[in-house]
Amino acid sequence: MIKVDNLTKRFGRHSAVSGASFEAADGEVVGFLGPNGAGKTTTIRILTGFLPATSGTATVDGLDVAEHPLETRRRIGYLPESVPLYRDMRIREYLRFRGHIKGLRGDFLRRRMDEVIDRCGLGDVRRKMIKTLSKGFRQRVGLADALIHDPPLLILDEPTNGLDPNQIRSIRNLVKELGESHTILLSTHILSEVEMICDKIVIIDGGTVLASDTPSNLVSTMRSAGRISIEVKADPERAQEKMSALDQVKKVIHERNRGNWGEFSILVESGTDTRERLANLAREEGWPLRSLHRHAATLEDVFVELTRKD
Amino acid sequence: MGTLLIILRKEFRGFFQSPFGWILLSLITVMQGWSVSSAMKALQDAPIPESLVYIVFHMPQFWFYFLALFPLITMRLFAEEERAGTLETLLTAPVQTAQLVLGKYLATLCFYLVLWIPSFLQFQIFGLLTDLDPPFSTGSLGGVFLLIVLMGSLFIAIGTFASSLTSSQIIAGVITVGLLFIHYFLGYITVIYGDQFPAASLFHHISASEHLRDFSRGLISSSTIIYYLSAAAFVLFMTHHALNYRRWKS
Repeated sequence: MIKVDNLTKRFGRHSAVSGASFEAADGEVVGFLGPNGAGKTTTIRILTGFLPATSGTATVDGLDVAEHPLETRRRIGYLPESVPLYRDMRIREYLRFRGHIKGLRGDFLRRRMDEVIDRCGLGDVRRKMIKTLSKGFRQRVGLADALIHDPPLLILDEPTNGLDPNQIRSIRNLVKELGESHTILLSTHILSEVEMICDKIVIIDGGTVLASDTPSNLVSTMRSAGRISIEVKADPERAQEKMSALDQVKKVIHERNRGNWGEFSILVESGTDTRERLANLAREEGWPLRSLHRHAATLEDVFVELTRKD
Repeated sequence: MGTLLIILRKEFRGFFQSPFGWILLSLITVMQGWSVSSAMKALQDAPIPESLVYIVFHMPQFWFYFLALFPLITMRLFAEEERAGTLETLLTAPVQTAQLVLGKYLATLCFYLVLWIPSFLQFQIFGLLTDLDPPFSTGSLGGVFLLIVLMGSLFIAIGTFASSLTSSQIIAGVITVGLLFIHYFLGYITVIYGDQFPAASLFHHISASEHLRDFSRGLISSSTIIYYLSAAAFVLFMTHHALNYRRWKS
């Protein structure tokens, strides 16, 4: 559905996107992650035809967005980050206008309006002025607009930004539901959201794509997958020295002491498991062992590891 | 064409959905009514060898409110969309920039024409109430309203252009006022410096006050018509490019 190939966008001497490539297959829900200023919004704006690329191509449904701007825009439902709306319009009036400029008419438009109002939970407020709505409802109006022409592709730029936890939850459920029938490119900072909803994750930073894979693959290939916590009753310095000497152990950090018990974090190489050897070491040294735990890496670890600047 | 009409209709209705449009309408009605009654008083006091239409449109206040009108009706057009971010939703819908520019421009032009309806009626009232022949010819009335339309088409295009340059309505309005004043006073260059320099005929050609003098006497010149319409088309073309350029740059 989406194919971005070596996309570059320069603003003067500053490159917002440099050589980004990724794909989204039909029906996939793709999480588009990156720190602020990573180039997410710029990439999205190129895909939606709001900005032209400096070089590289972006295609939607096999059509180049620069060569067929109107055809590709018809296939995209776009919710911009700031959710711009006409404040002085009523919800139905706004959706009617948006439907009209997207080429919907008459009975069909009326039916679509009822459908999206229902789907986005706007039924109770549909006659209200947009300026009187809360942020959560505005977000829903934006989403209803994105859906009105029933596009196969939805591009949502931080749809849960600035909402309260209940609103986040309801928007997230809505996106999840929509994911069953649409291809979705979901830009967000909220990693738990991505873990819950997305089939695939694209991580971008500094305008380049750093990783593009399923959440479980990303997590399992991460180096930070190999973090082990251990609590033993031993002299901290000696324990640290002994454990550091084991194969595949990269670093041992003495976290704290709880009474006689010392807590250590141990970083090991990815794809290895040192727990058995640690247990053996404790037995040989005669250290009482209270806990030994390998941490499952989270998407947060992956994200931080890939995009951390220090 | 469908999309253009949809944008036109939305923009046109927008003028009447806030007090703004109604305030302007009453302002123009009052100012023109005041001009008509002072013109009649002037005709009553002393013989003037000009028609009522001519005198009304040569009242000292005319250019003040006439030129102030354009920034008010155009400054919002694109600046507000840009500020609110709705330009992004408009231009990521299947809408061409040209449809957007023309839709907004024509809607404003239509609203502007509506603003002049009361003034047009004021001239009809004279005949209705007095049973006399109106103290002006059909030619001068037709001429002056033709010129109002022509100047409107250019000045609204200039305002639309200014609005496309910025996200601040105030700045758009200031640019519009500035450009319109410059355009107006360029027409006075020949009054100040005389006709004895090579470009003098150019300044006569674009002088709005000379156009008004001629048209309100019923002297309709095709070169003036072509001047306003082609300049309007050119400015709209620039607006189209300014919008695309801004979008492409930032």
